[in-house]
Amino acid sequence: MKKIAFVTLSLLLAVSFWNCEKDDICAEGTPVTPRVIIEFFDVANPTIPKNITDLGVIANGLSEGFAFDGTNKVEIPLRTNLDTTELNFVLNGADNDPANDETITLTFNYERSNVFISRACGYKTIFNLTNVLPTDFTGTWISNLTIEQPNIIDENETHIKIYF
Amino acid sequence: MKMKHILKFTFSFFVLFSVAGNAQDSIQKFPERYGLRVGVDLHRLSKSFYDDNYRGLEIVGDYRLTKKFYIAGELGNEEKTVDDDRLNFTTNGSYFKVGFDYNAFENWLDMENMIYAGMRVGFSSFEHQVNSYKIYENNGNYYGQTIVTPGEKFSGQTASWVEIVGGVKAELFNNLYMGFSVRLNYLISNKEPEGFANLYIPGFNRTYDGKFGAGFNYTLSYFIPIYKKKK
Repeated sequence: MKKIAFVTLSLLLAVSFWNCEKDDICAEGTPVTPRVIIEFFDVANPTIPKNITDLGVIANGLSEGFAFDGTNKVEIPLRTNLDTTELNFVLNGADNDPANDETITLTFNYERSNVFISRACGYKTIFNLTNVLPTDFTGTWISNLTIEQPNIIDENETHIKIYF
Repeated sequence: MKMKHILKFTFSFFVLFSVAGNAQDSIQKFPERYGLRVGVDLHRLSKSFYDDNYRGLEIVGDYRLTKKFYIAGELGNEEKTVDDDRLNFTTNGSYFKVGFDYNAFENWLDMENMIYAGMRVGFSSFEHQVNSYKIYENNGNYYGQTIVTPGEKFSGQTASWVEIVGGVKAELFNNLYMGFSVRLNYLISNKEPEGFANLYIPGFNRTYDGKFGAGFNYTLSYFIPIYKKKK
């Protein structure tokens, strides 16, 4: 019986140390705050995806942005501390020639809610798009914009389609 | 205060073994005393003073049922603020645990020390308050880190679990005992709140991804003798 007590004690002690494993690192692949997924299509042929060239996306007031080239699908983060995000979509903005830049400012308006993920990851924000302004694209490089999925809860589907 | 008790405890533990090893030819019979032992967890008590993020008290008790078996239990209240990397929350609640201890130690002469193994069933009722959290975003935080301070409350949480206990109790002097126990916990039920998780459960301690947890206490208790039996 003394032996059993000893074994139990040492087992408990071992387990108490083994329990100190790290679970405070947010595992890669965990669905965290989703970015808005935008797909580009050919305005002449609305079912055909069209690749953008040297698209620069930069938020108002920030000095660094995102550059995309040769893809028809981009992911862009929205502000998690405000209900609106203003983003400048600059066609040919990611190349070295500022003369060919064509800029349009898109304003994303949405409702936010914060969702608990886990101890290690904390919380994420999910969005519900109210609208994207402007709606009149006359004189810009964009022809049309449609909201396909206003509920931005993950990055698995396309939320917005842009035709140009 | 605590250090003094540790020294006393270590000393009496040492004495316990040396006496146990030498007193084999005793012919005098000592009666076994039965009664109630009540005490307090010194670890939780002292931590309440030195840790600003913790306030807790645990009352412990056991009643000697047979020569080897004791009914044992703990009753406690804890308020703990957990400051993790991504969130800060306060859990507040009460718990009790009931079960038994089995004394595996053969006492010599009139000694009444214990090396024991036991089990408990624990119940806890508690609430969380989320003080602040950070929003986790892919590829860093383009717009900067968003920190939210909701002060949101999640009340009415409950959990139950079983504990395997191993420990020692040694008599310091007349009826005053020092004890130490370690516990391996396994959750049976855990009512998770909508929109948060039971990351800390009073009595159970921190929760992990699975159902296991661990704990310990460091007790000072007083034995109230009720009746005696011949050995």
